[in-house]
Amino acid sequence: MSSQPRALAMRGIAKRFGGAVALQDVDFDAAPGEIHALLGMNGAGKSTLVQVLSGAIRADAGSVQLGDTHLHHAGPRGAREAGISTVYQKRTLVPSLSVAENIFLGELPRRSGAVDWRRVVEGAREALSDLGIDIDPRTRVDRLGPGQQTLVEIAREVRRGGDVIILDEPTASLGGADAALIHDLVRRLAERKRAVVYISHHLEEVMQLSDRVTVLRDGEVALTSPTSSLTMRDLVEAMVGSDVVVERPSRPRRERRPMLTITGLAVRGVLEPLDITVGAGEIVAVLGPAGDGQTALFRHLSGLAPADAGTVTLDGDRVDPRRIARTLQQGLRSVSGDRLGSGLNPLATVNENIAALAPVSRRRLISWSRIRREALELRQRFDVVTLHADPPVTSLSGGNQQKVLLAKWLSGEGLRACLLEEPTGGVDVRAKADIHELIEAMAADGVAVLLASSDVDEVLRLADRVIVLRGGVVIDEHDADDANHHDINHALLGGIS
Amino acid sequence: MTALTISRRRVAVPDWLVQHGGLLAVLVSVCLYLSVSTEVFATTPNIINVLRQVAVIGVLAAGLTLLMASGGLDFSLGSQVAVITAVAAQLIANGTSTPVAMVCGLALGAVFGLVNGFVITFFGVAPFVTTLATATILDGVALVAMQGQAISISDQLTWLGTGEVLGLPLLLVIAGVVCAAAAVVLRWTRFGRDALAIGGNHVAARLGGIAVMRHTISLYVLNGVLAGVAAIMLLSRLGAASPGTAGLHLELTVVAAVVIGGTALYGGSATVLGTVLGVVLLGVVANGINLLQIDSFYQPVSVGVVLLVAAIVNHLRHRSAH
Repeated sequence: MSSQPRALAMRGIAKRFGGAVALQDVDFDAAPGEIHALLGMNGAGKSTLVQVLSGAIRADAGSVQLGDTHLHHAGPRGAREAGISTVYQKRTLVPSLSVAENIFLGELPRRSGAVDWRRVVEGAREALSDLGIDIDPRTRVDRLGPGQQTLVEIAREVRRGGDVIILDEPTASLGGADAALIHDLVRRLAERKRAVVYISHHLEEVMQLSDRVTVLRDGEVALTSPTSSLTMRDLVEAMVGSDVVVERPSRPRRERRPMLTITGLAVRGVLEPLDITVGAGEIVAVLGPAGDGQTALFRHLSGLAPADAGTVTLDGDRVDPRRIARTLQQGLRSVSGDRLGSGLNPLATVNENIAALAPVSRRRLISWSRIRREALELRQRFDVVTLHADPPVTSLSGGNQQKVLLAKWLSGEGLRACLLEEPTGGVDVRAKADIHELIEAMAADGVAVLLASSDVDEVLRLADRVIVLRGGVVIDEHDADDANHHDINHALLGGIS
Repeated sequence: MTALTISRRRVAVPDWLVQHGGLLAVLVSVCLYLSVSTEVFATTPNIINVLRQVAVIGVLAAGLTLLMASGGLDFSLGSQVAVITAVAAQLIANGTSTPVAMVCGLALGAVFGLVNGFVITFFGVAPFVTTLATATILDGVALVAMQGQAISISDQLTWLGTGEVLGLPLLLVIAGVVCAAAAVVLRWTRFGRDALAIGGNHVAARLGGIAVMRHTISLYVLNGVLAGVAAIMLLSRLGAASPGTAGLHLELTVVAAVVIGGTALYGGSATVLGTVLGVVLLGVVANGINLLQIDSFYQPVSVGVVLLVAAIVNHLRHRSAH
């Protein structure tokens, strides 16, 4: 490893998969100390470019250079040894092992054949504190929150050295507070003259964090420019190629009949007693860092775990969330933010998933033609795009999976109120706009919508009212008209930023 | 991958053929080979004999397919059969009427299933561990119930063991009805679809309003009852309960048949047709070893080899599907 940090230069990268062009004539640079954001919709070529860079696949044409070294056929090992490390979106930590073991995974220091545990723990402690990360290296990884796990993963790659670090959507499933920790770490990496390639779907984050932005569209570079010369609108236009509304449409305000009322909902140590009333047709957002109070809200409204106290009523009728089937029938639906983890059946097809909750499937005998018919209707209504008649749900893009999730949980008779947890987590800009339209249409039909989100843009775009949670306590409540980004972010991040 | 899927869709091959084509091809090849190399194999009496022999396994495997679809597993079915045959034989030998003995057998199976299901759902013990433990217990109980000796029931169940319907053995007809019913349940009833939903993602299933615990327990009970049916069929065929005829050994054949049939080990995907093909394949292989006068010690070897190959093929297919 050279002592002088080297710059990354990719020139004329092209890659085809069969007949499909994944990348065409892409140039990409990253200088030491620079945070270079890489943006693009799903399928724009981001992952392919990252795979080329990390050596996982070989480009058909073009060159990858680190300083004076050519890395064209390096392979994953070669790329890493040359100084390019990657933190993938999918976690690669072993949950049952300690932080220290994970940091040294595959290269545990040994003394006369046995693992030198003191060096493991001390080495890990050093690697973490060096980056200002406050985690005990002896902690088991599964005891850490999602944000801390990402920090550990980054620390591991940094300890292994190298000039370039690729971060693939490190904040995708994190809330504001955790994301802020990652942002701090990324800035420190840049201060240490690493070149950071930062992939994100989150435009606001990119605007705040990056020095330069490259947008890929359909496998080509649509824009490369210093961030300071760009606006959010520029980014959106470069990504989708046309203008997509990001402004909040004005909605008439009127008195609303209370539909969903939550009174004194509390979970010891997680959520202080919380009161929320959502009117028919109203969208109320509960904003907070992921893993904070609004996650508890989903667990308790959906019936996954009982709350310690509190009552829920729906249009005046008492609801007992622990009786899940009855709650669904009464018209309260809780839609998980973890689509494949707790929302859909990953082994089933699109139609089977959509029909799994709809009244058709509640009959004792199944009519497949009926399922096909009803699913087709719902797929149109929820704008699910598929190549085949009825593919496995896992073969769809994130955005389409999310639409299937909504179609499953929000269809059928009797929907009166719903809780939506991170309804646009990890989906691209266009799918996000579609989903926002669906949510607004649902509210316009009189459904009470409770939105649990850590995405400030989304909340401001959709909500009539915003409740800000931090540490399980309501710290702020706004009518959306009075709220603005600065206030909300400030309230949300509090002492952290 | 995508191109492959598209071209597969365009040719109008039914899904079941695509899914089980490999297994069917193996079965047909083995049958062809045996028809050519032995004179006896392709005769009606031999084929009926093979089917009659696999009938017991077919009944157990049909139930296990539903259970495994939901992500469950039951290693104790064979041992349940052992205990039930012993108890039913004792009852009959001591003068209890056969209908009463049969009902007792089914009830006993239901109790075994209830215990398994209860331990697995309420205490959250892994099905593998729970049912391996109950299997070991029941194997011992069976020996106690038989006092280590064979118990003859003379000709009390001969009507069942050798009876015929439209020229087909009654045992085969029963197995056919059970398998057909299981296939219908799995494909066309909410009970079956819910089982698959639980196997695919039990959290999503629960949030979707499925009573997961209750459903799981009823699947274990169903398997227990089918173990009762299988036990009575076995008893009627052999005319006696004797040590070592069922137990874990029988169980492994049943699990092997289900896995060969393509049911996912962790649930979420299963077909009864696959299971039936698996059962028949194992029966034909055993028959073939017999007819080719290969030492019967090689039979477990052949079952193991077929299982291993099927498991590898299934794994590769699942991987290529992603």
